[in-house]
Amino acid sequence: MYEVLLFDGGVYKINELYELIEDVGGFVIQKTQVQVQITVTLAIPEEERPVIEAKTVELGGKLMDVPLAGTEIAVVAPTLGRHHMPHPTCDIAEQLRRAGAITVVMGLARGKGRRTSQISAEEKAIIEEYDAAVFVLGNFKDCILEHKVKLFEDLEVPVVVVCGPEIGSLPSCEGMVCGVGRKVERMRREEEIHKLEEVGSQVENVVRRKRQELDEDPLFVHPAEIKDRIAELEAVQRSLRPAPIVLHLDGLRVKIPYEEWKDQIADVEVYGRRLGDIATISNSRLGGSTLIRIKTRAEVESG
Amino acid sequence: MSEHDESFAFQNFDTILRQVMAELGVSRMVTDYRIMADPDAPYFLISLRLGKARSSVKISDMAMVDPSPAGAKITITDEMWAPALLTRLWQEYGRDAVEQLTRFEIIVHGASAEDLESMELDPGEELKSKVLDAVWRIFPEGFKVRHNLVDDKVMTIIGTEHDLRDEWIKIAEDLHERMHHDEEGD
Repeated sequence: MYEVLLFDGGVYKINELYELIEDVGGFVIQKTQVQVQITVTLAIPEEERPVIEAKTVELGGKLMDVPLAGTEIAVVAPTLGRHHMPHPTCDIAEQLRRAGAITVVMGLARGKGRRTSQISAEEKAIIEEYDAAVFVLGNFKDCILEHKVKLFEDLEVPVVVVCGPEIGSLPSCEGMVCGVGRKVERMRREEEIHKLEEVGSQVENVVRRKRQELDEDPLFVHPAEIKDRIAELEAVQRSLRPAPIVLHLDGLRVKIPYEEWKDQIADVEVYGRRLGDIATISNSRLGGSTLIRIKTRAEVESG
Repeated sequence: MSEHDESFAFQNFDTILRQVMAELGVSRMVTDYRIMADPDAPYFLISLRLGKARSSVKISDMAMVDPSPAGAKITITDEMWAPALLTRLWQEYGRDAVEQLTRFEIIVHGASAEDLESMELDPGEELKSKVLDAVWRIFPEGFKVRHNLVDDKVMTIIGTEHDLRDEWIKIAEDLHERMHHDEEGD
């Protein structure tokens, strides 16, 4: 099993860390450099952690657990109006980013109101591309129980609902955090920070369960193993987007146009096989991106 | 009424209205407010009692005006009016001509002391629009069908999603009337 960690330190001798990661059979998932400070998200075989820890101490950096690293999560609000944005939607998204996830904030086109609130098939399909979705709902119990439930009832990805009133249980969702509601200020009071942590841990639970499900029928390769090979593609290297390749639990999102690059992506070689044979490559609803879903070992061997 | 316990919602709306009013600087203008809602109906009703009807205020009521070599010098005595005064001076003389020396002292280049003394400030309209802004910020986004009852003292706004029923308007009118008579703080 790979373990995903976050290195936070300086750029001095950082190449030694990269080399070590490669030597132990790990991967660098993302690098973010701000002047001389750098944060590196890395995936290593879990038994190699002590070696990386020792190197981190030598370089004077910090090594942190990032339980959500390697996931992409959608934070969905009924609209992008100031009634839902930026607080608490952005605070929740930030909390998930701190735990290592890549997050997207999304507002529904016609999500406002009570009975009039709706979600389109297109929006559902977009949310389905992510590993999990967090729905940030409002204040009225009646409104959530009777009407907002339909926003996420058909979604196949795991859903965590964040809402105001205390609700015992809600159908069609895997996790729930009550007591947030509408906010017009940042969530920075002690009890609000606890709520954010609660959201983070609920999402972690959901992701952990999904990982366990995947482990029962393991993927042919871990997405991180494909990442480096795809990163060699010219279009990826030219891409100016901050994270041109995003890891999912069961695949990757590559932010280059599907139509133009699908053949080159399918031809990438992974352990002696074509990527096109061990994964399904499809167009992403998010413009200019390609989705790669890795097949399970059983699927590849039987195919 | 809704069969669910909506106490969280009312508490939360109370908090966010206070915060929004503080942010817009109109907390002191609103002496009392009521929020009523029935999510099952659905309607959302908000009623605010505004502070004393603002009559226009002369600069001489809130500041001392003295002639100065450059134009006129204003020494503010009631700071509450300072933002409105500055806005008015900027409108009249332009930003370049208004020089703020300290928190309380302003020099207006090219203005005569007599003109300034008789100049009037009318922050009433601006405040009303700020209070309205606060209302729109907290009013549920989907409740687009609205009915307003507004006079100098009380502002009542009711909104719903589809048809606005007469009985809800009646509730709004009753509350509007009550807000005129209720004593503060009850």
